[in-house]
Amino acid sequence: MALSLLRHRAPAVARCSSLAAAGAARVRQNSSFAKVEERPLESPEDWTNFQLKRAQYETLLETFGEFGSTQTRDNTFQPHHTLHRPVAPKDVTLSALIASGAHFGHSQKRMNPNFVPYAYGVRAGITIIDLDHTLPLLRRAAQVVRGVAARGGSVVFVGTRADLRQPVRMAAERMGKQGYHVGERWLPGTLTNRVHMFGPEVARDEQVIPDLAIFLNPIPNIHAIRECALEHVPTIGIVDSNVDPRIVMYPIPANDESTRTAELISGLLSVAGREGVAIYQEEQAKAALAASKRARSREPFV
Amino acid sequence: MNIARQIAGGAFRFRAYATAAYVPPASLEGMQRARPPPIKPKPESPTFYSGRANYYDQLLALEDAAKQTKHALQELQLLPLPRFAQQNLPPLQAVWKNKDDLAEIMEANLTTSRYRRLIGQLNQLNEYRRLAEVAGHMDLAVRIQHILEMFERENKDAILARGKSKPVKFDQYGRTYTVGRRKESTARVWTIAVQPSADEQAGSSSTTPAQGELAAPVSTPQESLLPSQPATGIPGFTSGPLSLAPAPIKVPTTNILVNGMPLVDFFPHLIDRERVVRPFRIAGLLGAYNVFALVRGGGSTGQSGALALGIAKALAAHVPEVEPMLRKAKLLKRDPRSVERKKTGRAKARKAYTWVKR
Repeated sequence: MALSLLRHRAPAVARCSSLAAAGAARVRQNSSFAKVEERPLESPEDWTNFQLKRAQYETLLETFGEFGSTQTRDNTFQPHHTLHRPVAPKDVTLSALIASGAHFGHSQKRMNPNFVPYAYGVRAGITIIDLDHTLPLLRRAAQVVRGVAARGGSVVFVGTRADLRQPVRMAAERMGKQGYHVGERWLPGTLTNRVHMFGPEVARDEQVIPDLAIFLNPIPNIHAIRECALEHVPTIGIVDSNVDPRIVMYPIPANDESTRTAELISGLLSVAGREGVAIYQEEQAKAALAASKRARSREPFV
Repeated sequence: MNIARQIAGGAFRFRAYATAAYVPPASLEGMQRARPPPIKPKPESPTFYSGRANYYDQLLALEDAAKQTKHALQELQLLPLPRFAQQNLPPLQAVWKNKDDLAEIMEANLTTSRYRRLIGQLNQLNEYRRLAEVAGHMDLAVRIQHILEMFERENKDAILARGKSKPVKFDQYGRTYTVGRRKESTARVWTIAVQPSADEQAGSSSTTPAQGELAAPVSTPQESLLPSQPATGIPGFTSGPLSLAPAPIKVPTTNILVNGMPLVDFFPHLIDRERVVRPFRIAGLLGAYNVFALVRGGGSTGQSGALALGIAKALAAHVPEVEPMLRKAKLLKRDPRSVERKKTGRAKARKAYTWVKR
C-alpha cells in the first residue's frame, strides 16, 4: 500500500527501487503524525481525518523528495510510457525496439520460409528477427501513414486482443477524424458485405472503405486482411516469424505477442498519422482561404 | 476507357496494341479531363469499423468516466482503500434496468457477454459513487449519479424497500396499531403502556384519563370493588399472625380485550390464551402493556396466532431491545402455513381413497 501512495504523489522517490519504498514504509509506520490509525471509519469526520492524514504524508514525501535522488517522473522510464508517450518516427532507435522485445520471434520449427530474409538467426530454438531490416520498414510504413493522412485518407487501427484495445484506441484518437479503431473482433463482411452490415443509405452516402488498414495482430485477423485485399485497401501489419510477410503490403517484421512492441509501433504510426492530418488540415485551410479570397474578388465592390 | 486512362496518367508510355487507336496530339488540347468523383463524407464514429458503433461508443464513454472518477478519488486520497476502511461502507444496492431496456438505451443488440461487460462498468461506477458519498464528497457523488441514473430502473426505491417493514407509528396517546395474520384470521391490535403512577397510590382507584378509553372500562370496576387496603396485613385479617404480614404488593396487570370481551372469555382453551400471552413472557413484559384487539376470520388457533403476532410487533415497536428476543423465538415471523388444497383423485389433501385390488 505504501508503494501505491508513492506512485501517485512522490516525484523524487525512485519507484523502481524497492529499498526506497521499504524505507518510506518504515518512516510512515514510525512517524506518529502521519500514521493512519487502523480503526473502522464511522462518522464523516473520521473520513475527513483519514484523507487529511494521507495527504499530510504525501506532502511530506513531496517536500523531502527534492533533496533525494535526481531521478524524476520525466527522466525515469516507466512501463506506461510506451502507451502515453509515443515515439516520433524520426526518433525511433534500435535500442527502443530491443527494449520493447521486438526481436523475439516464434520457435524455429514454426518459421515461415518467406520470412527468412527478415530473420537474424536462431537462439535457444527461437527465431531472432533482424531489426536492421525492421527499422527501415517501420519508417517506410510511417511514411505511408503520413502520406495517406496528408491526402485526407482514413486509417483503421486493428488490434483484437485485450491488451491491444487501449493502444489502438489512443492511436485512432491521435489521428482525430481520420482515425478509426477496432479493438474487438472484426466482423466478417465489414467491407465486402457493407450494404447488409451498415445499410444501403450509409453504404451509398458515406465512404465506408478505409484508405489504409494497420494490423497489430494479423494472424487472428486474416479474414480482415483478405477483405482489405479484395477491396484494394493498402495494409500495414506486424508480421512475426511464423507468418508469410506477403499477406500485407507493408510488413513490419517484429514480435506480435509483445504488448510493448505493439504500443511502440502503433504509437509511432499514429504520430506519423497526426503529422499527416496536420498537413491536410493546413492545406484545407489554405484552400478555404484562397476560395474565400476568390469569392470576395468576384463580388462587386459596394 | 483504356485511352482515357492512358491520357489521364500523363507519364504512361503509349503501348502499340492493335486495339488502341491513335489520336493526334492536336485533338487532345481541348479535351476536358474527367473530374474526380465527389468526396463522400467519412463515418462519424471512430468505432465504425467494429460494426457496433453505438454500443462501443457508449461503453468507452462509461470507461472514460470510470477512469476520471478513479483519478479524482486518488487525488482525494480515497483510493486505494485499506481493508479497515472497507468494513464500514454501506452495502452496494444496484438496481439496473433489464437487458431489453438497456439495449434500447445503447441502441444496439445486447448479447449476454456485452450485457455483462456493461453491467461490470456500471457496478464499478456504483462503487465509486458509494465511496464518494460515504466520504462526504457530494458534488462528485452527484455527478456520478447523473451518469448512472440513465441505467437505473425508475422504481428503484420501491424495489429496495421491498421486504423492509414500515415503522410502527405511535399516536398522541402513545398507542400503536399493528396487524397480525395467521391462516385465515386477521387481528388488529392497539397496544398502550400501563401507567405506573396509578398503582403507587395505595387504595385509590386507578382511573386515569391518560390511559385512554381502552383500559378504563376494564380496570376501574375491578379497582373500585376492592376495599381500601391497610398498610400491613393481608386484607380480611384484622387479628392473628396474618394481620402482621406485610401488605401484598399490587402487581400491574396486562388487560387484554378481544372483540370487546376479556381474553379468558374469548379463548376458553388454555392453549390459545398461552399462545396470546407468550410474547409478553418471552419479552419479560407481563403487566406492562394493555391490549385491545379486533379479530376476524378463521378459528380459535388462527385468531390466537394472529393476535400473538400483532402483540409481538407492537412490543417490538414499544421496546426495540426486545426485538432480537422475539425474533429468536420466531414470534415476529408471520407463519406462512395454511390449509393445503384438496387434490383430484384424493379424498382430502393427502388422504387417499381406499385402495381396491381390482
